[in-house]
Order: sequence, then C-alpha cells, then structure tokens
Amino acid sequence: MEMPLLCIKDLKVEYKQNGEAISGVDGVSLSINKGESLGIIGESGSGKTSLAMAIMGLINKPNEVSGSLVFDGNDINTLDKKQLSRLRWKRIAIVFQNSLDILNPLLTIQEQIYEVLIRHCDFSKEQINKRIMDLLLKVGLTLDTARCFPHELSGGMRQRVLIAMALSCEPELLIVDEPTSSLDSLSKNEIIKLLSELYIENNFALLIISHELDTVLKLTSKVCVMYSGTIVERGSTSEVIVDPMHVYTKGLLKSSPAINPFGDMWGIPNERSRVGKLGCPFENRCTQSIEICKTKKPKLNYILPNREVSCHRGGIVTILRGTALSKSYKSKSRTIEACINCNIEIKSGEIVALIGESGSGKTTLASILSGILKSDQGEVLFEEVPVRGNNFTSRQEGVQMVLQDPFSAINEKLSVGEAISEPVKIMTKQSSDLLKADVQRVLKEVQLPSEDAFLNRKCYSLSGGQRQRVSLARSLMVKPKLLIADEISSMLDPSTQANILRLLKKLQNEKGFSMLYITHDLAVARKIADRVYVMAQGKIVEEGIASKVFLNPDHEYTRKLVGETENWYVLNNKG
Amino acid sequence: MSKIVAIKRFTLVGKLSLFFIVLLLFIGIFAPCLSSYTHNTPSGESLEAPSRDHLLGTDDLGIDLLSQIFYGARLSLIIGFSTSILAGLGGAILGVLSGYYGGLTDKIIMRLTDIMIALPDLPMMILLGAFFGPSIKNIVLVLVLFSWTGPARIIRSKVISIKKEAYIVMAKSYDASFYHLLKTHFLPEIMPILAITTIKITSRAIVAEAGLSFLGLGDPTSKSWGLILNHAINFKGIYFTEYWKWWVIAPLFSMMMLILSISYVSRDLEKVLNEKL
Amino acid sequence: MMFDCFKKFFEYSIIFFFILTLNFFIPRLMPGDPFTFLSSDEGGVHQSYSEEQIEMYKAYYGMDKPLQVQYSDYFKNLIRGNLGYSIYYNDNVLRLILRSAKWTLGITLISLLISTIMGTILGSLSAWYRNSIVDRGLYPVMILLSEIPAFLMAILLLFTLAAKSSLFPLSGGITVFGEYETWFDKLLDVLHHGFLPSLSLTLSQLGGFYLLARNSMITVISKDYMRTALAKGLSSKRIILRHGLRNSILPIITRVFMSLGSVLGGAILVENVFNYPGLGRLMREAVTVRDYVLIQGIFLVVAFLVLAMNLLADVLYKKIDPRVG
Repeated sequence: MEMPLLCIKDLKVEYKQNGEAISGVDGVSLSINKGESLGIIGESGSGKTSLAMAIMGLINKPNEVSGSLVFDGNDINTLDKKQLSRLRWKRIAIVFQNSLDILNPLLTIQEQIYEVLIRHCDFSKEQINKRIMDLLLKVGLTLDTARCFPHELSGGMRQRVLIAMALSCEPELLIVDEPTSSLDSLSKNEIIKLLSELYIENNFALLIISHELDTVLKLTSKVCVMYSGTIVERGSTSEVIVDPMHVYTKGLLKSSPAINPFGDMWGIPNERSRVGKLGCPFENRCTQSIEICKTKKPKLNYILPNREVSCHRGGIVTILRGTALSKSYKSKSRTIEACINCNIEIKSGEIVALIGESGSGKTTLASILSGILKSDQGEVLFEEVPVRGNNFTSRQEGVQMVLQDPFSAINEKLSVGEAISEPVKIMTKQSSDLLKADVQRVLKEVQLPSEDAFLNRKCYSLSGGQRQRVSLARSLMVKPKLLIADEISSMLDPSTQANILRLLKKLQNEKGFSMLYITHDLAVARKIADRVYVMAQGKIVEEGIASKVFLNPDHEYTRKLVGETENWYVLNNKG
Repeated sequence: MSKIVAIKRFTLVGKLSLFFIVLLLFIGIFAPCLSSYTHNTPSGESLEAPSRDHLLGTDDLGIDLLSQIFYGARLSLIIGFSTSILAGLGGAILGVLSGYYGGLTDKIIMRLTDIMIALPDLPMMILLGAFFGPSIKNIVLVLVLFSWTGPARIIRSKVISIKKEAYIVMAKSYDASFYHLLKTHFLPEIMPILAITTIKITSRAIVAEAGLSFLGLGDPTSKSWGLILNHAINFKGIYFTEYWKWWVIAPLFSMMMLILSISYVSRDLEKVLNEKL
Repeated sequence: MMFDCFKKFFEYSIIFFFILTLNFFIPRLMPGDPFTFLSSDEGGVHQSYSEEQIEMYKAYYGMDKPLQVQYSDYFKNLIRGNLGYSIYYNDNVLRLILRSAKWTLGITLISLLISTIMGTILGSLSAWYRNSIVDRGLYPVMILLSEIPAFLMAILLLFTLAAKSSLFPLSGGITVFGEYETWFDKLLDVLHHGFLPSLSLTLSQLGGFYLLARNSMITVISKDYMRTALAKGLSSKRIILRHGLRNSILPIITRVFMSLGSVLGGAILVENVFNYPGLGRLMREAVTVRDYVLIQGIFLVVAFLVLAMNLLADVLYKKIDPRVG
C-alpha cells in the first residue's frame, strides 16, 4: 500500500491560558494521500483551524501539541525551526482565512510572493518575476495586481492572491481555511471553480476547512465532520451530505440553507459543551444519548464499508423498520391489496412523511407500523424488537399515535386534565395528583393554558385546534420515541394548521423524537419532512431525501403530484 | 461601592501610590497645623543640616524646609487639581458637543485642538507667563489652556463611536432628548475615560508648574516645590557644599514621588476599568 | 500625493499664521501699560529701563500708530527676517537666537536620535521575548523613566554625577577660554559638556519610545500577516525585520517628529539646570530681565521649528504607509 502523504495520529492541541489548559483538538487521527482531497466541516470553535495550524507547525509555546503528525516520513511535531521553515510553503502551503490583515499592508503583492520564491526555489530573478506573473494569471488576476498593496484589493481578489501565493512553490499539500466564508455568492462560486480547476491541474493534495457545507461538497471527495475537537463522522463527501449518520452531522445539514433549501431551518438544540469533557462531547445535545455516552468517549468506527462514525449507538439509530409488509382486505367479491411488500425505515430524530392519496394504503401501513393492525406478511421492528399488538404503544418511551380527527380521538366528556393523564394513569397506575405537574408541563409545551380552570374544562367546549393540541399533549405525556401523526392537520383551518405544524416541528426539534407524518398534502410534507415515502395503490413507489424527491422525482406518480403543487403555486402567485 | 472594588484590584504599588496621594492631600489641607515652623519666615540658622529641630534642615534664609515642603504640597495639589478639573470639564463639554453635533461646531473645535497640539507648550507658557505676570491664577489658566485638548479629543471620538451604536439610533427613534442620551448612554461610557485623562492632566500640570517656577515664572508669593528647587539651584556654591543633600533632594524627591504615584494610580485605574469593560 | 502634501502645508501655514497673530496681540493685551510694568520691579525682578530704552520699545511695538498699521508693519518685519532688537543684549534678536539655537538643537537632536533607536530596539526585543526576564526587568524601569520629567532627571544627574565626582563639567557648553590643539579636541570638549544634558533628555524620552515600540510590536505580532510570514517558512531575520519591525516602526517615526516640541520644552529646562548656553538659558535670561522682544523671538523660532517637524511627520507618514493618502 502507498504511504499516505500526511498521517495524523491521536493529535491533541492544548491552549494554555492563565494556567488553564483549553483543549482545541482532542485526539484526531486522519490521513491524506497524494493528490487526494479532504474536507473538514465543523462549526466555529470545533477545532478545525487548530488542526490546520498544527499541521503547519504554527502552534507555539506555551500551547502544546501532542500525538504524531507525519508528513512524508517526518514528524512535524518534532522538527526544529529550520527544518520546519524548509517544509512550510515548499511542501505544505496554506491559504489562510481571508482577512484584511492577512497580507502585510506595507509590502506589494509582488514582494510578498517574491519572498517565498527566493527563499524556497532555486530561481533567478527573471524566472521569479515570470513565475509571479504566471501565478497571477493562473488565478485570474491581471498583471498590474503585482504592484498593488493589499488594501487596494477587494476580498475576492485578496483570496486569489492568497491562493497564488500558496501555489507559488508547488506544494504537495494545500490547506485552505474557509476559502469562501467572507465572500459574496458570486465571488464564492468563482473561487470554488478556481480551486477545483487548480486542483485538477496541479495534482496536489487538498485539505479544505470550512463551515460551509456546499463549499466542501463541491471541492472534496472525502470529508471529516469535526465537533468539539474530535471527528464525529467520516466518509465520502457526497454520501455524508446526502445521508448523514451522526446526529451532529444531521443537525448541521438541517441548519444549512445551502444544503437544505426547502425545509425550515433548525439549529441544533442547546449550547456546545466544553471541549475535552468526559464522555461523548455531543452528549448534551444529542437526541439519542444513553447512559454510556455520559462517561465514555466513543471511538471512530466503521459502520459501513466507507463510513466511520464516532457514536456509542453506531450513528443515527434506526428506530423503526418495517420489512416486506403486505396486507390485504378480503370482501365478498374481491380482494383489496392495501399494502404490497412495503419497506419502510425511520431513523432517530427524523421526520418521515408518508405521502399518498386517500385509498393509497398509507393509513393501513401506519396502523401496521404502530401495531394496531397485524400484517399478513413481513415484520415490524422497533429498536430491533418485533412490534406485536400494543407492546410499544402501551409503554413509555415507545410509539404514540395522533389521529386525524381530534373530535373522535378524545372523549369529550372528560376534562382536559383527565384526557391528558389517561395513558400514563393506565400504564403506571399513578394518581392524578402526582401527574398534575406533568400535565401542566405538556400543556405548556403544546402552548395551551395550564391553569386549574383549563385543566378542569370539559373537552367538548374546546375548538378543533385546541383538541388536536390536547391530543398531542396526551401523546407527549408518555415521552414517545416515535410519533405517528396521521393527517393531523387536515381537518383544521389553514391558520390553525400552520400553528399545529410549527408546534410539531418545534417539539420534534427540542425533544428529538422521530415522527412519521402521514399526509396527502405535498406542500405540508415539503415543509416538515426530512425524508419522504410516496405511496400509490398499496406500493411504495418512491423514497428519498425530501429535497431530492421534490426537486427531482423519479416516479411518474410523484412527478404528477409535484407538478400539481407547482401549478397551484404558480397560479396563486399570479393572482 | 464599585469604586472600592476597583481599588481592591490595584497592584501593591498602585495601592501604595494611592495611599501616598491621600497622605499628601491630608498634608496639603492641614499644612499649617502639621508643621511647627512657618514656611515663610526664618526659624533657625541658615543652611542647617537635618536635625531633630529641623527634620529636613533649613534653607539659606534659615526657613524650615519641612514646612516649605508641606506648603509646597498644598500648592502643587491645588494647581494640579484645579487645572485638571477645569481642563477635564471644559474638554469634556467641548468634546461631547463636537462629537455629538458634528458639522461646523466640530470643525472649529477640532481646528483649535490642532493648533493647541501643534504649539510648543512650554515656550508658549513662558511667553504668557512673562507677559501676564506670575500668579497662581494665571499659571492655572495657562495650564488649562494647554490641557483641555486631550480630553476633548478622546471624548469626541468616544462620543462619535457611541453615536453609531444601534441603541442610540433606537433611542433617538423614541424621540430621546440630548439630555436623556447624555445621562443614560454617553456619561456612563465617558466617565471612566475622563477620569483617567484627568488624572494624567494633574500630573502634567504639576510638572509644568514646577518647570515654570524653576525658570522664575512661578508665583513668588507662594513657594511651590519648583520654586524651592529654583532657589536651591541658583544658590551660589550649592555644587561645592553638602547643602544640596537636603535642600535639593527634599523637593526633588517629593515631586518625583507625587508624579510617579499619580502615574501608577492612573495606570492601575486604566487597567481595572478596561477589565471591567 | 503632491496635492495632499500641499494641503497639509497649507493647513500648517494657517496654524502658523494664527500663532503669529497671537504673538502680535499678546503684548498689546497686557493689563495696564506694559512699559510701566516693564520697568517696575514686580515679581522679584529688579530690572528697570531708562526712558531711552522704553522709547525704543515703543518704537518697536509702534504703539503710537493705529492697530492695523502696527499689524501690517509686524508682518513686513517678519518677512524681512527682522525679529526685533534686544535692548538688554544690545543685539539683533535673530542673531542672538541663531547663536544659541545650535547648542539646543545639538543636544535635542542627539538625544532624540539615541532615545528613538535605543527605545525601538529595547521595546521590540521586550515585545518579541515577552514575559522573559529581560522584558520583566526592562518594563517597570522604563515606566519609571517615562514618567520622570527631563529637568528633574537633570538635577538628579547633576548632583550625583557632576557635583560629587566631577566626572562631568557642571555648567556651560564648552570650556571657557579653552584652547585646543585640534578640532577633535574641541569636539571632545563639546561632547563632554553636552553629555549630561543630552543624557537627561535621552533618559526622559527613552521610556516613552520603549513603551511605544513594545506596544506597537506586540500589536504587530498578533496580526494575521505575521502568522502568514511564519507559515511561508521565511527566515527569522526576514520575519522580524521585514514583517515585524517594518510595521511596528510606523507609529514610532511619527512620534519622533511629533515629540520635538516636548523635547525642546525639556531642553529649555535642562539647559538651565546645566547652565548650557542654548535657547533655554537665553529665554530664562530674557525672562529675568523682561526682555519681551527676545522672548517673543525665541517663541516664534521654536514654534516654527515644531510646526515644520509636524508637517514633515505628516508628509513622511503618507510616504511610508501605503494605506494613507
């Protein structure tokens, strides 16, 4: 096997400030081969720039770097100043994050490129000058840029100068730190185009560090996702971005308008915890954390042949899996095949929309999944345990359903308090008094009043929207891991529908439960779903990431559905 | 309350300096009660060395040096504080007007500060002192004339930067008056900076007065430290005798101590206030 | 560029014009009749002038003519380089000033030069090796130096180095009636006399320049372009000089020119401590004998010098910093 160009093993960077050690990078291992491109994604403060500084050997005392950083057989961490300065720029060059001060304000561009060439390359003066001109032209600048001072350049031009300067000695590894973050979208696309052209042409290894997912997507083939100084997910860029397997990566994608243009934006809940704490760094923000996450730090492990995730639960957990589900109803004259060989998967923290017209079999499928209905064939597993009857709907942290018709779902003779506490009372045999605090909490969560007066109101006096909230509150009482919502907004007026959907999405984001949302309304599905299953005549005809299905549907039926919605949209906007 | 906390966070040198200044203030206020001799009439032989009777010795006229130093402290502090208060206040007002209103007011005031900053201050003070006669009032006026530009400039730029803040824009949209803005938004930001520049002016004024007195332009009716030095240095034979050991050293060291104390206090204050911001 | 320089020149000309006008009005604003005050012995100055001399003063100030005529005469005289006539010295004021100015400028420029260079080197070293023993030792000493005014420093030096040990002469700029074999001996004598005055000025400026250089270098070190330079694998020498010092020295250069005013102020006092034959001593003598014409003359010359230096600083700054102008 070929030796990698750069091999990092268990790299740690600690910043010492006022006697305190603050961890910047906490045990990162990665390698880059010759000519390979690797992206590092992470929020600000995730340690990605520290990593780049460590590779350049730019972390100075009293700050500490430990672990090994082997570049072509030399450990950068053990090199002395002289050896380092010979390695820098000549073999590893960096394009720093663009800022006004990144270039010396008193020297012309010519001088600043000149000084690296004269130091690292054995060129004559004429050769150097020619090389500078070549470089400037290559990055799309005019020749008179050479005589400019940095303050005379625009942000995009400065970025080009930085790239030209970094390429001047034809490095084997080019590190690019946030190449596009300070640029407008036009220059951003140009810089991305330029970098990919240069990469193809020059055959250097490329390390792109960015918090902008689309930049990394366009420039790299492999990607590491960093969080709190550790790598939480690694894999091929296009796959990671389409199908993230770590809860953090997924949250990051959901927060990116460039990757996630349709759905609402949702930030990752809670604040980042301190780097280097005990246990999994993402534990306090994770929606599927278990006991071990608090005490033990997970290692980066393969969960697929080309995907590594650092998670005790092996990445995002599949919470519900239905395989080969079939169900038919037999009447006197004919057999109606409501479900034919349906496969469906719902992951932790995910909203899946099941779209289909009435009669397509979606309600049957949902009933099978929840255990209310028994399938003729196939199996449903909830957290790898078969669903049989009400074994998961009758327990806390299991499956809950919210039904379409709020009027019939709740006994209107009961008071609000009684209706909401009913499932818990059944499951745990607790008295109403003990549950009152919980009832009030869930009422607040669904944005209903929590005073005694409201608790004692009879349900018949409530409006449809209020009843649907009460019904939602009832499900939340048992802290479900999966909520199956069957057309819950279809009987409500548009404004109430909008409120309920927003509420549902907010609750899902906060609590991190998974949701199967069943609807015939494509517009609604587009608003809330991460993934989509389209059902027609008892079959699942299309499935995939929401943005992909809506932008680029494969199946004719889906195309028709999408097309109708688009037409409707166009018509409405004309009016 | 917060001021006491601020002092607690001073360095040791800063605390000692503050103590010295307070002590000197005390001495300045109670100078007549503290010294057993008068500061303007002879009370012993001329040029007595320090002894139990005259702790710092006497000068050529036989006047007790310690009481002269005590009175000198009073004078230095009066000149220092009145200059800094007048210059600080005046500079602050002009700075706020200039920064807040801008336009012509700003242009005129800034041109004036340009001129004052470009003018060599000591020669100008000598010129004014020579023409208008040496008196404490005149000295303070001249010093104020040369000191207001510092606070004016600093406060102007601060006001300009605060003015750009969104909360001022918001307050203005609620129809806040200039008085309201000044009271709730500008003053709390300005005060710490003003305090530090004012303290620095105090020290400069004391040095400048000593310099003028040293050149014979001090108020001859009140003997400041500078004037004592002036007398001592001009005494024929001061170089060849031992007299300088008390006659020169006493005022010299008093002045240095005061200047250094003020500087350390202002440095510490600056540091503490910056940490707070 | 040319236009900017011209604009600056114009601005300073206005300031200078303002100063000249001020200088014109000061004697005319004096409380009471200046010439009775002139000949009185108020303020412990025992100097009286004869009728004849007072007449000469009146003639110089042109008090009998209307104000606007006096004003235009004043400028006519200035343009001709006529700063008036000193009655006490019985000599042309400009000539008197030029004779003393070389001594003052000598010690001023030498101490400015030395304190700038020393301050920059020490300050930069201190910043580069921040928190090292050198830095921790230098910093408080320099703060102390930066606070002590030149003339107090001068008195201290006078009594510790000159009066006691007679290592250096107590007063004067050159040995009186000294005869020299060569010009080199003469130079040595001049340097010997000028040493302590220059040393006091140097020490009092050194602290300020050190602190400025240290601060400036610390700021520069934290700048992104220094990291860029390091990443580029340049030699340490080039990083420190070309990228560090070249940037950190900008504020120092302007400060050198701008501080001429305060150094001259210091020199005026220091000269009087050492009885050094420069403008300062001349000014003090003029003050003692209330030779107003001479005082005004010295003031104008010093103001002119200081303004010229400030102008130079502005122009130079535009030249060396590509970001300005």
